[in-house]
Amino acid sequence: MKADVLIIGGGIQGCATAYHLARQGASVIVLEKDYVARHASGVNAGGVRLLGRDMAEVALSKASMEMWQTLSDELGHDTGFRRQGLVNIAVDETDLNTLRAREAKMRATGYTHERIIDRGELRERLPHVNPNCVGGVISELDGYAIPYQSTNAFRLAAERHGARIVEGEELLSLRRVGCSWLAQGSSTRFEADTVVNCAGAWADRIALMIGDNVPLSHAAPMLMITARMPHFVKPVVGAVSRQLSFKQFQNGTVLIGGGAKGFADRAAGSTRLDYAKLADAARTTAEFFPIMRRAAINRMWAGFEAYMPDNLPVIGPAVNAPRAFHAFGFSAHGFQMGPVVGQVMADLVLTGRSQFPLGPFRIDRYDRKVL
Amino acid sequence: MFQSLRKPERDRVTITVNGHPIEAIAGQSVWSAMALNGQTITRRAALSGEDRSAYCAMGVCFECLVEIDGLPNQQACLRRVTEGMAVTTQEITETTEATNAGL
Amino acid sequence: MQAFDCAIIGAGPAGMSAAITLAKSGACVAVLDQASRAGGQIYRASADSPLPDAHVLGADYTDGATLIAEFERVDITHITQADVWHIGDDGRILFSHFGDTRELHCREMLLCPGAMERPMPIPGWTLPGVMTAGAAQVMLKSDAMVAKGAVFAGSGPLLYLIVAQYLRLGVPVAAMVDTTPRQNYLAAAPLLPRAMRNLPMLKKGLDLLREIRASGVPVYRGATDLQVLGDTRAQGLRFTSASRSHDIAADTVFLHHGVQPNLNMTRAMDLTHRWNADQLCWQVDTDAFGQSSVPHVAVAGDGAGIIGADGARMAGRLAALNILHRLDLLPQEGLDRAAAPDLAALAAMSPFRAFIDRLYRPSDALRLPRDPDTLVCRCEEQTLAQLRTGFEQGARDPNALKMLTRCGMGPCQGRQCGHIVAGLLSDWRNEPPETVGYYRLRSPQRLLTLDELSRFHAIPAPTEATE
Ligand SMILES: Cc1cc2nc3c(=O)[nH]c(=O)nc-3n(C[C@H](O)[C@H](O)[C@H](O)COP(=O)(O)OP(=O)(O)OC[C@H]3O[C@@H](n4cnc5c(N)ncnc54)[C@H](O)[C@@H]3O)c2cc1C
Ligand SMILES: Cc1cc2nc3c(=O)[nH]c(=O)nc-3n(C[C@H](O)[C@H](O)[C@H](O)COP(=O)(O)OP(=O)(O)OC[C@H]3O[C@@H](n4cnc5c(N)ncnc54)[C@H](O)[C@@H]3O)c2cc1C
Ligand code: FES
Repeated sequence: MKADVLIIGGGIQGCATAYHLARQGASVIVLEKDYVARHASGVNAGGVRLLGRDMAEVALSKASMEMWQTLSDELGHDTGFRRQGLVNIAVDETDLNTLRAREAKMRATGYTHERIIDRGELRERLPHVNPNCVGGVISELDGYAIPYQSTNAFRLAAERHGARIVEGEELLSLRRVGCSWLAQGSSTRFEADTVVNCAGAWADRIALMIGDNVPLSHAAPMLMITARMPHFVKPVVGAVSRQLSFKQFQNGTVLIGGGAKGFADRAAGSTRLDYAKLADAARTTAEFFPIMRRAAINRMWAGFEAYMPDNLPVIGPAVNAPRAFHAFGFSAHGFQMGPVVGQVMADLVLTGRSQFPLGPFRIDRYDRKVL
Repeated sequence: MFQSLRKPERDRVTITVNGHPIEAIAGQSVWSAMALNGQTITRRAALSGEDRSAYCAMGVCFECLVEIDGLPNQQACLRRVTEGMAVTTQEITETTEATNAGL
Repeated sequence: MQAFDCAIIGAGPAGMSAAITLAKSGACVAVLDQASRAGGQIYRASADSPLPDAHVLGADYTDGATLIAEFERVDITHITQADVWHIGDDGRILFSHFGDTRELHCREMLLCPGAMERPMPIPGWTLPGVMTAGAAQVMLKSDAMVAKGAVFAGSGPLLYLIVAQYLRLGVPVAAMVDTTPRQNYLAAAPLLPRAMRNLPMLKKGLDLLREIRASGVPVYRGATDLQVLGDTRAQGLRFTSASRSHDIAADTVFLHHGVQPNLNMTRAMDLTHRWNADQLCWQVDTDAFGQSSVPHVAVAGDGAGIIGADGARMAGRLAALNILHRLDLLPQEGLDRAAAPDLAALAAMSPFRAFIDRLYRPSDALRLPRDPDTLVCRCEEQTLAQLRTGFEQGARDPNALKMLTRCGMGPCQGRQCGHIVAGLLSDWRNEPPETVGYYRLRSPQRLLTLDELSRFHAIPAPTEATE
């Protein structure tokens, strides 16, 4: 099979990239070893979060956030996005000071989307919060979407524009011969002018095939979700200094995260859960929201996620080969970035440039560092 | 119509079902205590809100979810009655709003 | 937290027989079951029946009391009302016990989770008043509760058994609607001669049918196009039999067309499974001793593939013997010698099982819904038409369909819709069930209150238990 662009990975980055390329007339093939959204992009917490981003990411994340607001219409399929705001709770004066310092820094850079709220407004926004909490910070644009639905929406839109998505096909090897990339999949051979590496927690292996080294690691963040509860909280909830993170979806189920990691065995392709850590997350949730004591947990799981040492992604061209690009290493917050990353990658492939400063995301930013 | 063929010897307890006191036999399943008193609706379906009732009676369908002493998602077919237990139909659907009661 | 040589989950005939064998050879055994008394499905409350005279339920039932008594005599740790919600292949078991999560460790584990009934997704099957025939049995055995004037519909020995039990107790039955497809009699006929070697079993079945016929209860055969009548609750059953449409009024409709292994436990452990084309269900892949793809995890009884109560006892004993061998409590020759009778008996039973499986194989029309508005996923209220739309939007894998439509995401964790969804996808993709696969399942194996989890503190395992 031949195409202009061969994308490795059918997660949200791969599907969004395929969509933006196909929309502009490029012929695209996406290779996915399992099925679309099988991994992080389908099983993540669905947090669409701008609040609290690393300064290096704010511009990209902010552009992505604007795209999320109208994404369902653009793609012609519901992503499940709901703009409900995100509140990070402060439990004491120390937390509030952290927030004030952050706010000053944001203001100085010209960003105004994060706003500190006092105890009264916190209670108003989160009527069920533990009354001991003293305030917090809110970003009104934030919300959540349904991961699988969102990724599949990109996939369907890409297909509508002619992209071909090949599921159950693993990239095994890659060679640059003349002006082409020759790719061997598990059952088919592919040829393309350009390759884009969107292989998530496996992206270091693809980078290696391209010729680039990268200190990527992987881990298995865990989540749990409850049976439906009466609606008691609208915004997505986090905490300034505690591992608290949950949201109540429109269907009434409550998804609890918090960043705790299970055990990831990439060779075996399996993850295991750490129940003691999940118990911690349950404790924290119940402490902040006593109503959650009545919740019933229905499912628990973990997904493979790619991490960079600085928790910032790799976005940009390969350094050791022509016509190859990378987008991976999103370090547990790449779902929100999907829409903009697709556009950035399409721009890079088609024009060699992006309107965003991508310096902090270079793949070789660690080449000279001892980690 | 459900009917009991039970030999008449065991200890009795009183529980309430949706606020109505009913007599039950200690150790009897919550579902049978409800059903024998004509209360066969256990929960509302999550989207449509339609009535649902126990289906498998052995713990594998989760149609019999009721609230017991304020705690939702209890399987009436597996739980046993105890004196003073308060059982209510589980009303939670996709659109149910929480009250501030119980805070 | 305690460490055991072997933990057994499920105290039905398989689990009890295994425990007895293990305990007699000196193994340190824990048995966990969510019930308050041992027995499992068939012998439920057999040792303390609430009925004035349990003998009407038949000798197969009352015989269970003997096994239960023996089980309760041997030296093991029997933890009742233990609801197991996590089983790790590291030998760690987490279970709910009176609202708290407790933990135990074991070197070997034996899963005996038994069977559940095959779902029968006919129009109206979610209406209040529709239950399974197994439910009728459970209610009768554990609570001496019956439904007067019910209609029973479906096929298979368990259906006939409960109808006969009702009749013996003088409980009026509105009708028995037999859905055994006519062509099954022809298809099963060649298997009959070998099944004849198991004459007592065959006779038991025939006697049940004769008993029902003699009672005068209306019996309809070869029924198709079943539909539960009623808007907000069951008011009767409509079906076609002998080319005529019938409406039977009843406020309770009991459905049944066979049982299938309770898969969630073995699936959540990621053991290797295979499709059983004779019984039309998934089952865990084991050797003759129940050993699974994880060597220290064995599965026995109906939970490993439907073999019935007698078979479950044998399978339980065989698994126990192999575990004794693995624990160095039984040398190879001893294992061979002790296992021979049960291996032979199980082999002798298989022609009869093959005959029954073929005779009562459910029709596709009852196994997989046909009407676009019929609910496939009861919990998340997903209809056949909605699943089809999801499939057309690219969700070709059971897990993808689950993520797109939420089928299988509700409280039953896919127990009811799992086989239906897998079957539908297999039809739509025109690929065998093995290729299509099944839901990926995880712990907790049932709803777990957040309050309970929040009180759980993992205790580091003593070194000897983690070796
Ligand atoms: C539990 C969890 C919770 C999270 N919560 C959030 C959140 O709330 N908000 C947020 O913004 N982010 C969140 N994230 C992070 C986010 O999900 C990821 O950053 C994002 O989905 C990454 O997308 P991706 O397309 O790069 O990777 P993936 O979705 O992992 O896609 C990569 C794909 O590449 C395929 N692939 C790999 N190698 C090959 C090969 N050789 N051949 C063919 N295909 C291959 C894989 O099968 C995979 O499907 C979370 C992640 C996890 C795991
Ligand atoms: C509803 C029903 C009624 C039946 N009635 C009959 C009958 O009358 N006659 C007949 O011949 N056959 C009957 N069967 C068939 C029955 O499966 C077998 O005859 C036999 O009981 C199988 O024995 P077993 O030991 O494999 O499993 P079972 O007897 O089913 O025992 C399994 C045990 O595991 C326990 N268990 C399961 N999951 C967990 C968990 N997570 N935590 C703790 N404990 C758990 C259960 O409580 C149960 O006690 C019935 C089956 C069903 C489903
Ligand atoms: S009736 Fe099925 S779980 Fe209780």
